[in-house]
Amino acid sequence: MASATKQLTYRRYTSIEFLLGTGLTGTICLLVLFSDLLFPGAGKIDLSARLLPPFITMSHPFGTDPLGRDVLARVVAGGKISLMVGLLSVAGAVVIGVIMGLISGYYRGFWDMIVMRFADVQLALPFILLAITFIAIVGGGLRNMILLLIISQWVQYARLVRGSVLALRDREFIQSAQAIGVGDLNILFRHLLPNLIGPVIVLMTLNVANNILLESSLTFLGLGVDPLTPSWGGMLADGRTYLQNAWWVSFFPGLAILLTVLGLNLLGDWLRDSLDPTGRTSK
Amino acid sequence: MFLRKRVWAALMLAALVAGPLATTPAGAAGTMTVSSPQDPGSWDPIDTFLVNWASVATNIYDGLTYRGPDAKLVPGLATSWEELDGGLRIRFHLREGVVFHNGEPCNAEAVQFTFNRLLGEEGNKGPQRSNYTAIKAVDIIDAKTVDFQLNKPDPVLLTKLAGYGAMIVPPKYIQEKGDAHFNANPVGTGPFKFVSYEPKVGIKLEAFPEHWGGAPKLDKLEYRFISEPSTAVAELQAGRVDLVIPPTIPIAMISTIKSDPRLDIVTTASPTVYALRFNTGNGITAKQEVRTAMILGVDRQAIIDSVLGGQAAPIASFQGKLSFGNDPQMQPLPYDPEKAKALLKEAGVAPGATVQIDIRGNDATFNEVVQAVASYLQAIGLNATIKPYETNVLLNDIIPAGKTGEMFQQSWGGWTLDFDNTAYLMYHTGEKWNPYDSDKELDAMLESQRSITDRAEREKILQSIARYAAERALEMPLYNLNAIFGVNKRVKNFTPVPDSRLRLTEVTVE
Repeated sequence: MASATKQLTYRRYTSIEFLLGTGLTGTICLLVLFSDLLFPGAGKIDLSARLLPPFITMSHPFGTDPLGRDVLARVVAGGKISLMVGLLSVAGAVVIGVIMGLISGYYRGFWDMIVMRFADVQLALPFILLAITFIAIVGGGLRNMILLLIISQWVQYARLVRGSVLALRDREFIQSAQAIGVGDLNILFRHLLPNLIGPVIVLMTLNVANNILLESSLTFLGLGVDPLTPSWGGMLADGRTYLQNAWWVSFFPGLAILLTVLGLNLLGDWLRDSLDPTGRTSK
Repeated sequence: MFLRKRVWAALMLAALVAGPLATTPAGAAGTMTVSSPQDPGSWDPIDTFLVNWASVATNIYDGLTYRGPDAKLVPGLATSWEELDGGLRIRFHLREGVVFHNGEPCNAEAVQFTFNRLLGEEGNKGPQRSNYTAIKAVDIIDAKTVDFQLNKPDPVLLTKLAGYGAMIVPPKYIQEKGDAHFNANPVGTGPFKFVSYEPKVGIKLEAFPEHWGGAPKLDKLEYRFISEPSTAVAELQAGRVDLVIPPTIPIAMISTIKSDPRLDIVTTASPTVYALRFNTGNGITAKQEVRTAMILGVDRQAIIDSVLGGQAAPIASFQGKLSFGNDPQMQPLPYDPEKAKALLKEAGVAPGATVQIDIRGNDATFNEVVQAVASYLQAIGLNATIKPYETNVLLNDIIPAGKTGEMFQQSWGGWTLDFDNTAYLMYHTGEKWNPYDSDKELDAMLESQRSITDRAEREKILQSIARYAAERALEMPLYNLNAIFGVNKRVKNFTPVPDSRLRLTEVTVE
């Protein structure tokens, strides 16, 4: 028995998802964390070195942008804002959404009605309208942007979780847990949550990428960050008009988003498999 | 995400538009297709202030006066005019034998009807009326002569009669069909007559051979509304559009178009000028030496040459070279970072003092310019940050309420090409665009030129206003942007116009 668990644990940590996922995500996080040390002066503008193509000079391996800044340095530095927005907003929305969904699905009745009507109101408001109103009331800035994303996205998780809870709460294993007197908190977090976390993780990984891009759109509305501070979404947007003659301006930040999302997806798959209480490991 | 959606929407729209067009290629004899970035929604002259209204409607309507690509005022529907009563009355002699596209004669009655409508209840609903309030009444002297009675002399009135709200409209047609019908089915006296209009898609015109100036050389003129620059450029490359008019083509795409042997870029100076204006009320920019130092510290010529690809001209005051009131003798302050640093030190500004620059969030080119400006300011020891706002918020809340940072973006350009339209609104005490400054001397100069109709004297005052504002360093004048047209080489005799008031009578296509 003991050796079987050990073997399972071993298999878990040598799965291709785990290795690739942690490898990618870890490398990107490390690069981003130490970007100041690796590329001091990433924002240096040099109008004499505009739009240099990549892989030509050693000093600018990924080329330069329309203001002569090194694309590689900006991609690495840009991860700071993008990862912060992507990860924090999703984490916040998941925490609120999952708790709300669990409560309304499990207790039904009054709390269900309150939470779900609130969710309906939220879903009826178009995102842009919400964003503009939000800016008008609390103003712009990075923190407010993350708050806005949390406010606008928790509903998705709440709905998802509530639906799963409704399907699960009448199943035998929950009923038997209730019968032997397991407390509500225990049932919610030890019996229900692990059984419905799979789809939540999938939605999370999708939303991380989505929010990294949203960050740049929100800049148009005045919620974003200083254009001097690089971010992946912002670099993608800036490079849009240069696509035909300088593909590298938007290609490399796009690649960074792709790799990050790929890493998080793999990690998410692995996490889902590890947490799956039915014990099915990845094939 | 939303960017993507917009690109997709534009592509789908382009696909939808391209479908029906495929049956009648732009190559048909004498047909020219123009891409315009915006559908003004109504073709009634009194309903609009959009330049893209004018880029179509200049072909449909005539005014009493006319101003072409050379920016010189010439006779239009009026063959001559004279000032009476010391500038308080202007007598216009109308052109003989002019008819509207529907056959109605264009006479003194039509002129009177046009201005009664513009200044009356109907005109009050639109944005054009306020430009023409100097007119008290229009009197009919005989069928071919009208008198404009003025409340006060208006030195810019003759120019204003060449465009927008002053276009002469057909009285019978409007009275019979109503305003709503006229909005979507315009009738004028211009060289092209209206054929069909599909909102958000395009408008089609055809030659009006009976035009008083002679028949236009093109048979048909079609406009398509394409708002996404990449789509417009792609259509130009594909040959489905012959001309892309400003403001569409981003600086970044110029080289793409130039590299295509079938296409060309044609540019001319436009009225649009860009400046970063100072918060003269508070912060370090309240001091004039600091403002001057900041102007000296930014290499504006280098920004024009690199970021703007040379498609702009340096300016010494907040106006372009076409503007009435521009003094060609006036030189922009040189780029002198050493002197800038010295001035800052003298003014007691500590190194690392912060400067916040407020800009419109949606202007991609200016966004790059302002980042370059910020890096120059960094170099003279100021810590510049940029704050993008949603355009309407910046224009209607932040600037008028005086809530800007140390500097804020102002892009400006009036089609009348008269410095009064800029200077009065920017510098006079209490104006919407002047939230911080109040200068009695400047106010007096601005007021004095408003009632003078003597051109030379007025020009002198406007020039001294420009010099005075530059001495006080009220703004960092950046550049005068070119109007950029993308054109297929099969289009011949095309003359770019500075103000989007595009009249395509001489143009031919192969």
